[in-house]
Amino acid sequence: MASNISGNAYALTILSPIKNGLQDETAYADIVRNRLQEWNAENNSPMALTPDTYLCRFFVLDDVYTETLPGANAWDTVVDWLPFVPNFLRRWAWPKEDHLKSRYLVFSSNFYCGPEGTIDAYLRAMWVAIGDRIKEIWGYCYGFEDVNDADQFIAYMKKCQLTATLFFVGSTDDPLNEQLKALYLKQEFAKFAIDNQGLDKTALRNNFQAFFDRVQPANLSAPTWAAGKYRLED
Amino acid sequence: MSNIAGKAYAMNVISPLRPYLTWVNKLIFWYAAKKPSNLTGLITLSLIHYARWVIIDRDKFPHLDPKQPKEDLSYNYMLFFSNFNGSWDQYVDSFTFAIPGGLDLLWKWTVRYPKSVALTPFHNYIQYNQIETIHYYNAYPLAASNDVKSAKSVKSALIKFQQDTQNASDDDFMKSYNALLRGLQHDLGDMHPTPIVSMSAYQVQKRQKWHKKNDLQLGGK
Repeated sequence: MASNISGNAYALTILSPIKNGLQDETAYADIVRNRLQEWNAENNSPMALTPDTYLCRFFVLDDVYTETLPGANAWDTVVDWLPFVPNFLRRWAWPKEDHLKSRYLVFSSNFYCGPEGTIDAYLRAMWVAIGDRIKEIWGYCYGFEDVNDADQFIAYMKKCQLTATLFFVGSTDDPLNEQLKALYLKQEFAKFAIDNQGLDKTALRNNFQAFFDRVQPANLSAPTWAAGKYRLED
Repeated sequence: MSNIAGKAYAMNVISPLRPYLTWVNKLIFWYAAKKPSNLTGLITLSLIHYARWVIIDRDKFPHLDPKQPKEDLSYNYMLFFSNFNGSWDQYVDSFTFAIPGGLDLLWKWTVRYPKSVALTPFHNYIQYNQIETIHYYNAYPLAASNDVKSAKSVKSALIKFQQDTQNASDDDFMKSYNALLRGLQHDLGDMHPTPIVSMSAYQVQKRQKWHKKNDLQLGGK
């Protein structure tokens, strides 16, 4: 019924329980938070090295929320506002207060999975590319102490995985290098169109051929944009 | 904290869901996913890169170790993750103004959901239930979702144009080139680093300073 896959794109949702413990008076969950915060100050995200990642995020789920504001359904309104509702009934109808017993590291990634639609190749490539950085973050989670190689990492992540109830792709589901090449071409061709206005047909044709030879539209490896590129100058 | 990576904003919202109504919610999601035409409303919000809803039953939180305490919860939970362009207000308001009915259909089963109209209670609800992202990575921070989609059109049009005009006369080449530009006029446009719309300005500035410092050092050598 539910699916993590839409076309060739995959919605990976991971909830990894963080151990309830302290190191130098700091909760493990806060150490994880601090380390992720430090990733923000690096030249680029370590995830830029994980192939085919479109967008991904990390956060720590400390607890769930209790809803105390009025809702929009009739029952809430009756319970909240009518003066003749006895107090015991009001208390019974109030939303319950839930609390989590563990804090969770949440990792949510959107990536190109290809027609085979599995996570194994993606997670393996992630481990190979940034295995040490993964240990920095997941090292405080329950069950991660047994993870020492890519296979164990894949097995671990599958235990932490949740299935998406609905996955919506509003962009494209092409391989990332295809998307990056297309963005490079869009940028370059816009410049070309501006720079070559008003030329005669022979000059325009010569310039276009030189442009086409330079940008090599069918060559996905170069020239192109690097994954995670956030400024125009290289 | 970093809810923003370039032009993309990462939104996370968690909502408690009444267990006895969860099946209704799942049924609606199933129907929404069944046919692409059911998601037409979402497709009109072209500022979205990728979005997902995940329902976690209260006894299905990952449990990996006997030492890990088991969760004991009254509600199931619905997690919503979105990657979109623009500011928080623009995004939340676009739901209210474009697809309020569809949004409410997906969310109305959660506890004390105020509905997407009127705007202020809805803003309060999302703010209260939103969780801040700590680290957000975007493979193309300079591009909006519409840039990614239009870039695909530009790439295929360029390749086709080159193939079609290989043996054309200069006159025909010129005509085809003009037609190419006319056809792509909605897809072309420069991409630049984001106008800053939130606190991530701090991160962006920090990186820019890092680059300037390193460029100066490299230039001096």
